[in-house]
Amino acid sequence: MERREALKQTALFGVATAIFPSLLQSCKEVSRLNWQPKFLSVKHAELVSALVDTLLPKTETPGALEMKVDIFIDLVYGKLNGKAGQKEMDKGMDDFNATCKEKFGEAFADLSLENKTKILKMEEASSPKFNGSVWGTAVGKQEPVGFYRSLKSTALWAYFSSEDIGLNVLSYDPVPGPYQGCILLSDVGNTWSL
Amino acid sequence: MANFNIDAKKDMTYDAIVIGSGISGGWAAKELCESGLKTLVLERGRLVEHVIDYPTMNNDPWDLELRGAVAAEEMKEHQKAARSGFIGENNRHFYAKDDENPYKEEKPFMWLRGNQMGGRSLLWGKQCYRWSDLDFMANAKDGHGVDWPIRYKEIAPWYTHVEKFAGISGEAIGLPQLPDSHFLPPMELNCVEKDVKKRIEKEFPGRNMIIGRVAHLTEPLNGRGQCQSRNRCDRGCPYGAYFSSNAVTLPAANLTGNLTIRPFSLADSIIYDEEKGKAVGVRVIDSETKEVMEYYAKIVFCNASTIGTTQLLLNSTSNRFENGLGNDSGELGHNLMDHTYRVGAMGKFDGHEDTYYKGRRPNGIYIPRYRNIDEKSTTDKFVRGFGYQGGAGRANWGAGANQEAFGGEFKDALMKPGDWEFFITGFAECLPYHENQVSLDRENLDKWGRPTLVIDAEFKENELAINKQIQIDAVEMLEKAGLKDIVGFDNEHGMGYGVHEMGTARMGRDPKTSVLNATNQVHAVKNVFVTDGACMTSSSCVNPSLTYMALTARAANHAVSELKKNNL
Repeated sequence: MERREALKQTALFGVATAIFPSLLQSCKEVSRLNWQPKFLSVKHAELVSALVDTLLPKTETPGALEMKVDIFIDLVYGKLNGKAGQKEMDKGMDDFNATCKEKFGEAFADLSLENKTKILKMEEASSPKFNGSVWGTAVGKQEPVGFYRSLKSTALWAYFSSEDIGLNVLSYDPVPGPYQGCILLSDVGNTWSL
Repeated sequence: MANFNIDAKKDMTYDAIVIGSGISGGWAAKELCESGLKTLVLERGRLVEHVIDYPTMNNDPWDLELRGAVAAEEMKEHQKAARSGFIGENNRHFYAKDDENPYKEEKPFMWLRGNQMGGRSLLWGKQCYRWSDLDFMANAKDGHGVDWPIRYKEIAPWYTHVEKFAGISGEAIGLPQLPDSHFLPPMELNCVEKDVKKRIEKEFPGRNMIIGRVAHLTEPLNGRGQCQSRNRCDRGCPYGAYFSSNAVTLPAANLTGNLTIRPFSLADSIIYDEEKGKAVGVRVIDSETKEVMEYYAKIVFCNASTIGTTQLLLNSTSNRFENGLGNDSGELGHNLMDHTYRVGAMGKFDGHEDTYYKGRRPNGIYIPRYRNIDEKSTTDKFVRGFGYQGGAGRANWGAGANQEAFGGEFKDALMKPGDWEFFITGFAECLPYHENQVSLDRENLDKWGRPTLVIDAEFKENELAINKQIQIDAVEMLEKAGLKDIVGFDNEHGMGYGVHEMGTARMGRDPKTSVLNATNQVHAVKNVFVTDGACMTSSSCVNPSLTYMALTARAANHAVSELKKNNL
């Protein structure tokens, strides 16, 4: 069932053509991931996994992959994005990989950590930024931030709103009681998770 | 709490009918029921019982597949309201579906609706400020619109009346332009807000920065619990800590035994009896079965929200009122107002790195109006004025998106709170313009066969001039308060984003130029009362809901006294 689903998805996103050798190729690609994308193509899922792992690697605290950030981004892609948003993200991912190939001859997922880092530094320097926001809405006219910063923002959301981080790493307090406006940060520790 | 009596069928005749169960309808129901009137509340949507019907109130982000965001497919139902940025998976069941309730925007107008028991009282911002004579005399003073038929002293005791029961927290500071309420203890400012307050008040004599005055309990009241700073209000509060019809007024009305509430009851039109020269009841469409029925009463209170009530009155035609009930003046549907929104400034605060706060305070700061309040503060750039809401807080991991960094250290640094940030955003008074209007679209009917609405309204020169000043002043205040990286902004929203629609059936002294009299009665049909935002003669720059509550309680008590005298 999973395999059939995988084939359907890869076909849907045009990664594989209908001929048999290409399907084999896509199966080989599937084996690179330890999860099955529901919406992203395998090639794009690999990029997302590699990107979030580079952005938020495991340290003393869990990394993005442990928190299934890539799997959540697959959901965001499939369910939160409309058709237009998916198309835009597809193009963003293809362009991103094209840049990697141009610079270093391989797709992002296949690069060494050193080259991954070089690519992200370039992206950081060149990507537009988000405007500030008031009550959850951007102020002023928000220019498009492009694929990289948009994905970074989604990865942060996915990571920091995950259950393990929210309950066990950040400071969790679902019922704080009366507001205390001025206390010592050291009495709290990490940022409130909610 | 006793179950609500929803069996309206066995009795088609009541003393009073209240159309709508939001902030003003809930108050009408409470006051009328407590005065002994058998009252039928017509609610176009479903029942929402306090706590029982708050299914999402305890959700954490990870409890939902999309962590609180709404899937694109589901968001299609809310395409107009989605512009607000307010709609999430945890609250969208309290927002009306736009696809089922179409309206036409001649110019951009975001009409947010809450079509269920409690209406938008479940969703409101809860900021509560008394209006002053600066507001009630504004039209008379500068000649825009018509004069209010009341002054502050007439409504002041009713403010006190509703505040004591609703529970308003805040600090009394004795400003003439923003009279103090009957307050519960104020919420606390955080460390940065305390600093910014000091600096602004020192640098700008005559300006004040205060904690927001809000309908949140800061101590228990009438069996309701105090605010626990969860800031999940728009899902329904398990403690009943904020004011909503569901938690406060409707249970009180229900306790009297005089309340019947009929859900799924779309008020189609008010039935006018030509011989009696008054309204005798309301024609209702069952919004589920489309069955049409009539309910009768001695008095009718219209509390269907500003635009909803206007739609109902425009649709209530008869030989006597060809253009809508009580529309002798031709002003019904006109003078639609709102407040401007998201114009201001934000910046970063250096210092207080070692301090933080506990709780997600559902409130912020308020800077009361300081322009055009006396001779000294008068400007020739615009009439009327503005106030600011805002607040300070520490950035969280979200700030990481803009940081030119990534990797393990970056990730771990985001576990700690980031910079302190402070913002203020202004709310400008909007003048009543005859041409800003709501009208019926008889060509396009909704699924119940009622004419839909066309909204044709925009902010004009005066509001835009105020917005300009809002941004200039905001940047200046933040600069003088020592903030860094200051960004001024103006999102240039059309109307509706303030969600303070007002004015389409205004009160006035003269039946030739207004729809309602000084006690919210339709001039020509005295047993019909309008006490939601439609009744407002001007818009002030402060939030209007507390004034709807006070006007409603005042009108309901007037109605009861007139009934006793057989005047209605």
